[in-house]
Amino acid sequence: MRPITHPLARLGLHLVLWAVVLYSTLPFIWTTLNSFKTKRDANAATPQFVFEPTLESYSAVLLKSASDNGLLIGFGIFAVLATLVVIGLFAKRIPLPTKAIYWGITAALALIVWSLPTIVNTAEFYDNFINTIIIATGAVIISIAIGAPAGYALARYTGISGVVILLAAIAFRSMPRLGYILPYFQVSQDIGLWDTYVLVIIVLVAVNQPFTIWMLRAFFMTVPKEIEESAMVDGASRFGAFRRVVIPVAWPGIIATSLFTLLIVYHEFILIRVLTQQNQTLTVAMTQFLGGVSVPGSVPRQSAAAVVSVLPLILVVLIFQKQFVKGIGAGAVKG
Amino acid sequence: MLVLLVFPLVYAVWLGMNFMTFRTFNDPVFVGLDNFKAVLVDPAFWAALRWTLVIVLVTVPVHMVLGFLIALLLDQVKGRMRAFYLAASLIPMIVVPLVGTIVFKQLFDPPGLFAWAYKSVTGNLFVFDATSMKQLILVHTIWIITPWAIVLFFAGMQTISQEQVDASSIDGANRWQQVWHVVVPHLRPLILLTALIAVMDMFRLFDNVFVLTRLNPVFAADTVLTYNFRTAMTVQRLGLGNAIAIILVITIVIALLPLLYVTYRDQIKER
Repeated sequence: MRPITHPLARLGLHLVLWAVVLYSTLPFIWTTLNSFKTKRDANAATPQFVFEPTLESYSAVLLKSASDNGLLIGFGIFAVLATLVVIGLFAKRIPLPTKAIYWGITAALALIVWSLPTIVNTAEFYDNFINTIIIATGAVIISIAIGAPAGYALARYTGISGVVILLAAIAFRSMPRLGYILPYFQVSQDIGLWDTYVLVIIVLVAVNQPFTIWMLRAFFMTVPKEIEESAMVDGASRFGAFRRVVIPVAWPGIIATSLFTLLIVYHEFILIRVLTQQNQTLTVAMTQFLGGVSVPGSVPRQSAAAVVSVLPLILVVLIFQKQFVKGIGAGAVKG
Repeated sequence: MLVLLVFPLVYAVWLGMNFMTFRTFNDPVFVGLDNFKAVLVDPAFWAALRWTLVIVLVTVPVHMVLGFLIALLLDQVKGRMRAFYLAASLIPMIVVPLVGTIVFKQLFDPPGLFAWAYKSVTGNLFVFDATSMKQLILVHTIWIITPWAIVLFFAGMQTISQEQVDASSIDGANRWQQVWHVVVPHLRPLILLTALIAVMDMFRLFDNVFVLTRLNPVFAADTVLTYNFRTAMTVQRLGLGNAIAIILVITIVIALLPLLYVTYRDQIKER
């Protein structure tokens, strides 16, 4: 569409979009404000916009006992993180391979996350954070490893049964979790896998596989056949052509699919709630701050837990936002 | 996929024909189709199904129209601002549904922003009762699923060729006619996909209803899945719970048949 040029119309356009921005983010902004309040400010009859911020609820959620030099350590960690972010932003100007820098930053982050419990006395909620990282990474990598060949095969196979398999995949996606939760529960108790990472990852992969295959197929359909055919003429095997030619071309699509899988895995509540006890993810552990029907939970703590549990996900998605949106475009139009 | 999805499904049907609680987990009593019969004569089940249908019929069209309009507006903006608007409108979809609900509820709880605004405008306290809770569930559900429609439609609009639009404007089409006759037909597969996914997800609505109502029967806002959860986990009728799930799967498939048929026809045509 040609852009509207009338200045008044453009002003109205931006105003409406700002309203949309407010509508989407206001609840989250309000909670973030709440997380920095004291209990008294959070429960005040008139909403407090100006208040003395406190990190009390964050330390209550993340730490078992506040250490004496907590402020110093907190500042140190913040400084290191800030340095990493700055390096990441200017990675392209540093005369080193960009990929190596990104890998280095990832490794440093992992090191910090893993070594933090030895420095400060972290609470259980922090363990849930580590669980989430392990489970999400495992589930995404395995899903893509299975989904990529399957999606590729379905994209290239043109028989009617290909369509049938796809529709079956959609039908499986529509199944309510409670429908197959009991079988998983019972079998995992029998074979002693209950409450382990392995079980959770296997189940999450199984549940999300139809979606991954469906989306990856759409991406592989956008890769022209000629590319891999010419590779095969040059002597590559079918698998070699897939690995060396098709995957690099479809890479943005694979990133987009990984992000969506990450989103679904991270959002999963009921499966993990039933299948684990100790190894819960943040999403499930979050509920302990809710309080009961008659006893409301502490608002600032609940807000702090909410912020802690979604901030990593928001950061990851916003970092890859471009691939995310572009990926959906390329994939969805064809699918 | 066969082992991990089909087997549990068949097993779930089998469990649906047994009577068991968590205590008698390992020696279930076979009761045949009694569980299914019990579900189908339970008025609570029909109430839950009716409410779920209301949710589907309201949220699916509303979020698609809303998403389409916002995507149209976004398409008018270029550059940095576009990235900013897009990122901000993605937030409800990125935030974990459970957390999104808590976040939303805080606005409406007594010290919250909306409750305060409501009180200063109308003079009454905002209370959660059966009506306001149901409205809140609808509003929140729309809030949480609209970004999917925005992103999908927006991405689709980027693939419309400018020549097509220009040709229609030479033919004398105004802006609305262009939207209706060029953009909408181009987005047809996407609109189908969005509807398909949304219908599926709305039938399975659980997380936000669970957190908002805390399964409190006062609100009478059980969806099929929270009803299912109550039966299976709170009352511990595991077999009955599975029977509900199976019935829900059948309902969803029936509701999806027309959409699936159209998708199937399009797919065949493409080949």
